Amino acid sequence: MSQSRRPAGVPADGNISPSVIQVIVKTPGHQNSFTVAGDTSVRQFKEKLSAHFKCQMDQLVLVFMGRLLKDHDILSQRGIKDGQTIHVVIKSKNGSRSLTHSFRNLITNNPCHQDRSTKGNSSGVCQSAGMGQTKEESSLLMESDAPKVGTQGPELDSPEHIAQMLKDLCVQRVLSNMDIMHQLISEHPDMQELLQQNPEISHILDNSEILCHILELARHLAVIQEIMQINQPAQNLEHLQNPQLYLGLETIPNGNNALGQSYDFNDQMLNGKQDFLWGNSFTALLAGQVLEQVQTPSQSLSPFSEEQWPRPPAQVIYANSCGLSSITPTNATLSNANHASKENPASVTTEGQSHVCAIQQPAGIPTLPSTAVTQELQEDDKGTAILVGSSDQGLEGDLQQSGEQTSSQLTGGMIQLLRNYPYMAAQMLLLMNMPQQSEQWKQQSPTSLQSSQLSDLLLALANPKTSQAILQIEHGLQLLATEAPILLSCIEPYLWGLGWLPPFSCVYPDTVPWTLNVSDMAEPECGPQSGTVLQKSQPPSGDPSHSLQASEVRFSKQMEHLQTLGFVNDNANVQALIATDGDTNAAVHKLKKSQES
Amino acid sequence: MARKQLEGIWHTSIVVHKDEFFFGSGGISSCSPGGTLLGPPDTVVDVGNTEVTEEIFLEYLSSLGESLFRGEAYNLFEHNCNTFSNEVAQFLTGRKIPSYITDLPSEVLSTPFGQALRPLLDSIQIQPPGGSSVGRPNGQS
Repeated sequence: MSQSRRPAGVPADGNISPSVIQVIVKTPGHQNSFTVAGDTSVRQFKEKLSAHFKCQMDQLVLVFMGRLLKDHDILSQRGIKDGQTIHVVIKSKNGSRSLTHSFRNLITNNPCHQDRSTKGNSSGVCQSAGMGQTKEESSLLMESDAPKVGTQGPELDSPEHIAQMLKDLCVQRVLSNMDIMHQLISEHPDMQELLQQNPEISHILDNSEILCHILELARHLAVIQEIMQINQPAQNLEHLQNPQLYLGLETIPNGNNALGQSYDFNDQMLNGKQDFLWGNSFTALLAGQVLEQVQTPSQSLSPFSEEQWPRPPAQVIYANSCGLSSITPTNATLSNANHASKENPASVTTEGQSHVCAIQQPAGIPTLPSTAVTQELQEDDKGTAILVGSSDQGLEGDLQQSGEQTSSQLTGGMIQLLRNYPYMAAQMLLLMNMPQQSEQWKQQSPTSLQSSQLSDLLLALANPKTSQAILQIEHGLQLLATEAPILLSCIEPYLWGLGWLPPFSCVYPDTVPWTLNVSDMAEPECGPQSGTVLQKSQPPSGDPSHSLQASEVRFSKQMEHLQTLGFVNDNANVQALIATDGDTNAAVHKLKKSQES
Repeated sequence: MARKQLEGIWHTSIVVHKDEFFFGSGGISSCSPGGTLLGPPDTVVDVGNTEVTEEIFLEYLSSLGESLFRGEAYNLFEHNCNTFSNEVAQFLTGRKIPSYITDLPSEVLSTPFGQALRPLLDSIQIQPPGGSSVGRPNGQS
């Protein structure tokens, strides 16, 4: 700030004389120091100031401690002492009446309806322009600035700059002239571009009232901008997701062919919801499992423990109805005749807020070592049981990475698959309710799914690869059944535990045993459990009769074996099998013991 | 004086003549008291009374807005809303605003955290939405 010494009216050596004081005169943006006699009257002081500021005395307004200094006051009488500050406002020559008036306009947000010729309108425009944020309005403002400063870059859209310019009288005169404004708007390249894109807005430009309103809106653009910014992240996220998805999918073998499928659905899904917790455990699990299956079909089937199933994540659901609503629900009437296509998820329905979707057959799941998955579950910091490909494969890292990415990809394909295979819907529903109630949802209709779980499963099923993998599993099992049925019987218990019925099985259970099987899996919490699936698939304590029937179905293969071995007592066989968890050999021992006893 | 907390840094404004005035990256703005998007104030401090009429005050603000408190002059640390509030408070009443507000930037900068983030924070432009720019319709002589 500049400091200047003004020669005092009284010859003094500055602050030596007690009657001479040095006061600081502050004007907006400037500060000067004046040395005057303490008994100087305000009027005399004003004379000095007017000479200094080159203005007329009646333009000066002196403010000290919030009080206006009158001409007849004496500085010392007002308590002005050495080193204190007097604020000076230099009124404009034109008077500030209009300023007040325009200010009122500002407050009432009603400038456009003023007489255009008055300054009020200009100030209204000025003020609204000051807040203008949108491209359109700022280009308008830029146009208004053109006469004064010429073309400038888009960076001048900054409101403060615009406000600055608009304060200029020349600019405001232009603004108040609607003809010029209209011309400016029309000729602005941005506006012309807009006109080309939206011919219908030409009528807007013709209507000066509308223009006025637009400018008024500019004042509120700050709020609009807020809203836009809120929406923008959503869109940005969607765009972000899309490329990520495909990146992830490409890393997965044979993932490219899934891209096309997923694409449309992904768009639909993404547009609906902002939830990007794609790190859906179930999805990742399936993805991993699929990979697992694809790459190591010969891998010994280890029991798939329930903890591999995702805990019901508390994620916002991905409840996009537009993508899902088109899928018809048929899950309620699923019959096991559709088994053969069990690798495909069933249809998805939307009921209210919850989405019913079928789960892909968990056939692919059993291939994963339960322990590996368990570890992953524990390590998952997202709070959901992230299921990653088996550690043996070393796919964990990739899968975990791509898990998120693929999850959304899975969604699209899953939806499609779900649509094609209503049977899976029921499965999914059951599976989704798994972790929660083991008994209740047995009777529950599949439609009462937790929407959060649905999203997970949706994601999981979205991957066509998953269905392929499951199909391969099926094929493998079929092959195994034909080539080495005995081995199949060993594997079967595990599969049964997962609720997966081999297609070659002659005994097609009703949905009840399915329910039961799934509920078995629902039993354990998603805690680390190294137990086998068979353990988990112990029928819940809920319904013994159900258990029996289900067990019979489950252990049909074993039953056959036992019968071939000579144990004709089906009930006993079933009991034994239940006790031994489907272990035929152990059941044989048990039966022998019981027979002997 | 109205105060609103904004991202941990106090946002202040001056309420006088039933209007609220504040400074942001958009220059000096005004609104009805509590009328910005920030909502009603956390704290209101009575700075004092003033004889300055609204007319004079607006002239003063216009001058300020053209000189010291242009929008582009906004700096989160050194020339922010609190600077403005302080300036205006002194003009209106001769008193300053509480020091814990004006000292906040220096306090922040005195921490390693503040120093580390200074380049980022320096570029932050804050303009609470909901206000209207205070301008001078007639040219300043």
